[in-house]
Amino acid sequence: MALLNNEIVQQVQQRLADLPDPVKLMVFTSPDHCDYCKEIVQLAEEVAATSDKLTAEVYDIRQAPEQAQALNITMAPVIAMVGAKDYGLRYYGIPSGHEFSTLLAGIERASYGKPDLDEQTKTYLASLSQPVTLQVFVTPTCPYCPRGAILAYDMAVASDKVVAEVVESMEFQDLAMQFNVMGVPLTVINGKERIEGAAPPPMVVDAIKKVLA
Amino acid sequence: MFDFTLTEESSATAPSGGLYDVIIIGGGPAGMTTAIYASRDGMKVLVLERESTGGLAATTERIENYPGFPDGVSGMELMERFRKQAERFGSEIVEFDEVASVEPVEKGLIKVHTAEGHVYEGKTVVVSTGSRPKKLGIPGEDEFYGRGVSYCATCDGPFFKNKNVVIVGAGNSGLQEGLQVLEYAKSVTFIEFLPYTRAEQILQDRVKASPKTTLLFNHRVAAIQGQQTVTGVVAVDRESGEEKLIPTDGVFIYVGYSPISQFVTDLVETNRWGYIVSDARMRTKTLGLYAVGDVRADNPAQLTVSVGNGTIAALDIRDFIRELNS
Repeated sequence: MALLNNEIVQQVQQRLADLPDPVKLMVFTSPDHCDYCKEIVQLAEEVAATSDKLTAEVYDIRQAPEQAQALNITMAPVIAMVGAKDYGLRYYGIPSGHEFSTLLAGIERASYGKPDLDEQTKTYLASLSQPVTLQVFVTPTCPYCPRGAILAYDMAVASDKVVAEVVESMEFQDLAMQFNVMGVPLTVINGKERIEGAAPPPMVVDAIKKVLA
Repeated sequence: MFDFTLTEESSATAPSGGLYDVIIIGGGPAGMTTAIYASRDGMKVLVLERESTGGLAATTERIENYPGFPDGVSGMELMERFRKQAERFGSEIVEFDEVASVEPVEKGLIKVHTAEGHVYEGKTVVVSTGSRPKKLGIPGEDEFYGRGVSYCATCDGPFFKNKNVVIVGAGNSGLQEGLQVLEYAKSVTFIEFLPYTRAEQILQDRVKASPKTTLLFNHRVAAIQGQQTVTGVVAVDRESGEEKLIPTDGVFIYVGYSPISQFVTDLVETNRWGYIVSDARMRTKTLGLYAVGDVRADNPAQLTVSVGNGTIAALDIRDFIRELNS
């Protein structure tokens, strides 16, 4: 049975009708303890079928170490959205509920290659010389979460140094526990600094500066 | 078992721009109703929302008092329906961009500036920004925000499966959200400042029916304690003055709401809590600027009231624009 109903499929088709660059949805699955790997693959395939600019590629993380390494992926399940180049857009877990919007926003970012950010933020991100990983912890029932997640995607598109990993907290409980995540959205920068709630761009920029200082 | 919610998003689907008949700030029930009525009336409508549309209503697990849904409806589903109805008549919706300021230029022209630097122009502007949960203002509250302190059970509830939870505030919101938390938490202790609850009887009955419930009335929460995460709250019996340490893994705070009106306070009259005063036609003191829904002074925070406000505003805007054009 399809995961996406006809109505949603039509909306997705409409929304993704004018994508400029092709986007690969690279799904990495894991043979161990992956509750929703089957569904994630199915979802990626159903979304890919909505536009001729989209393709889904499925890899077992253990059997495709080269592909995983090339994208610096060490955990599964994950969907990497790769456009004309790899902008560093990742979604860990199944993007259901409100997070489906995050997936689509990621696809759009990967295709357009343009961030929706103010000039000041873009200028700062373009000047980065050190790598920055933004991990945004979310739950599918959180209406505030896509805002935090999509901001991270924008920042990743704005700079080759930034990778944005959106993490579904219930599927990656160990990771969430490691950072004491008990509320979402939560953005963790390079595993050090944390920002609770959906923060505006200047607040995230300040936190990045603090981590890199 | 999965549902997939699709909301619009700002960058790819850029709004058409130009002069809007009405710009609605806030995509909750009041704003969406204004959008439905105005766009169905042929007006050019833009809805600006700082998060996803739906407002607080969308974070409510189950809504049982909205007419037309005898079995109740999930808040998210109901608000998706509002949105679809608005879009069907041509309303444009921009999400994840917050309005920073509103600038009345002349009669029939108001500029709206957003945090991302976009400027939109409307003949009229409707403020339907609603309210946000109030803080307690006690030690530990900010420190442990996101580490056990939460204002959104729908968002953060999943972290508290088989854990002990305290809910501060036993009004309608507290009990409603508490019922949801009771489904998976090990225990839920409700702490209420008043000696009684003002919540609906049906909610009280349901909460009391659970063996996992403890109710503490006439208690003030004085502090939230923890190490890395929350470990307990200090509650003070308001009658005896006795201090009690209640061990808990999480604290959900539902002690009322405060209005999101700061960005227009120079343009409107507000009451002493910051809610915006608008007349029976929803007009504020600034020509062409309206206030509806939970942000409006003296409104009971109810979906049906917001829907009514949105209707009235849209009808008045029609008259206002006719007059402008004539």
